[in-house]
Amino acid sequence: MSNTNESAPSTTSLPSDVVSSITNQVSDQLNTGVLVVDRDFKVVMWNRFIQVHANKSSEEVVGRLIFDVFPELPQRWFERKLSGVLQLNTPSFSSWEQRHHLFELPHTRPITTDSEFMAQNCTFLPLDVAGEHSYICILIEDVTDVCHYQGQLQKTLKELALISRIDGLTQIFNRRHWQESLEQEYAKARRHNKKLALIMLDLDHFKKLNDNYGHQGGDKALIDVTQIVKSVLRIEDVFGRYGGEEFAIILPETDIQGALDLAQRVCNTVAKTPVLFQEHIIQLSVSIGVSQLSDNDTSYEKLIANADAALYQAKANGRNQVFNALDLSDESLSA
Amino acid sequence: MNAFHLTEDQQDCLQELINVAMGQASDQLARYLDTFVYLKVPSIESISTSSLTQTLDDKESAVAIVSQGFFGYEGIRGEALLVYQDEDSGRIADLLGYEPDELSHDEQLIDISSILTTTFLNVFASQIDNQMSYNAPKLLPSAQNSLSEHLQQMTFSWDFALKVNINYQVTDYSFNCNMILLIPETAIMNIKKVIDRILEDF
Repeated sequence: MSNTNESAPSTTSLPSDVVSSITNQVSDQLNTGVLVVDRDFKVVMWNRFIQVHANKSSEEVVGRLIFDVFPELPQRWFERKLSGVLQLNTPSFSSWEQRHHLFELPHTRPITTDSEFMAQNCTFLPLDVAGEHSYICILIEDVTDVCHYQGQLQKTLKELALISRIDGLTQIFNRRHWQESLEQEYAKARRHNKKLALIMLDLDHFKKLNDNYGHQGGDKALIDVTQIVKSVLRIEDVFGRYGGEEFAIILPETDIQGALDLAQRVCNTVAKTPVLFQEHIIQLSVSIGVSQLSDNDTSYEKLIANADAALYQAKANGRNQVFNALDLSDESLSA
Repeated sequence: MNAFHLTEDQQDCLQELINVAMGQASDQLARYLDTFVYLKVPSIESISTSSLTQTLDDKESAVAIVSQGFFGYEGIRGEALLVYQDEDSGRIADLLGYEPDELSHDEQLIDISSILTTTFLNVFASQIDNQMSYNAPKLLPSAQNSLSEHLQQMTFSWDFALKVNINYQVTDYSFNCNMILLIPETAIMNIKKVIDRILEDF
């Protein structure tokens, strides 16, 4: 038998009343709640931390059922949890991440956090008294700070994730996220044997626009066109800025006819909605290429290439119009 | 072979201690959970960090891992990882004697993990005249390969570890999980000392 687990030898020389006075004072100075209950869930001891936070006197608490003192406790769960501690003689834990708090106590940052009650990590420890496990020590740690900062962190991460998907100027998806979405939609369409169509659109005479009104005028045109296009799209369409003045729209579960109809609507709406920049009224138009997923296409890139070739054809035919990739001659497709 | 490997005698002795602890733990668990708990004969091996990462990467389908640190006298310390597959954890609330709406799925996993770890290690500790304390169990983030990522971030730096793998099954509740105890280098030397003392007493 090793002698290492006997109680601390340095205190054995002190009289027991001194030791217990020290123990009591330390316990009352702890920034952790200490509460001891017996096997019938009656409170037999508590320290200053929990007394002050619960704002009750010892007479109101000691000797009474813990469920009467703290009626907010989930009684059935609590009884089962503590019976495990006694029966298995093992500690048990409750973390703020799963249960924000067990005891409804105020905390020390009521002004600078939005938490109503103290977030808590609780530990339930079996106490060995005269060889019998008949008491349970409940430790209550205030982790309101941790909880608060974790919440802030999650919020920031969410914002960052959003920012990394959004184009700064137009506030629609950026190219990277749009292309990831297309990759997913492509895989989905292939797996479930569903239709998929794509629209690529380009603002006509954008260079001239920049020359006439300056880059701020060009930016205003991009922002307004984005809003105009958005107004005719359906909720499931995925709209992104492909680059410069080029935009792209993924149309899940849409056939070529549906895509052409939508493209024509986009084209018409842009053409009849003038954009205001300073004192100028600017008349805009877009050229649009439309493609749909065919059985021969082996990658989503093919869908982009086809729509792009159709867009080129729409420009060549005089702009402000829609062109269907299926009507492309074989040469222009392979170009 | 290096200083961290156990000799054949040490390995046999540790195996025996663990077998006895498993027997008692399974008995206690069966009485508490009111159902038969089956523990498979454990595997004990000394492994390097790299080979551990490999072994654990094979468990790709693991959906949840709960980690709990433990520490006792004489420098015995380590970390317990409880590894769950998706199909293993549907009825834990029921097994633990709770109503399903009394606790979340995460809390169920953490609760059963803590019970399995602390029950086994308490009995094991008493076998070697020791006493264990435990950190609060933590559910590791459920990203893929989180286990090897977690291992890379583990606070103790070590090249070798003693790995004890115990499988728990509760057939009545279709419950199944793996408990992996990892004991890092310095703690291996300490546990070898304890084993040698026990061997001398025989």
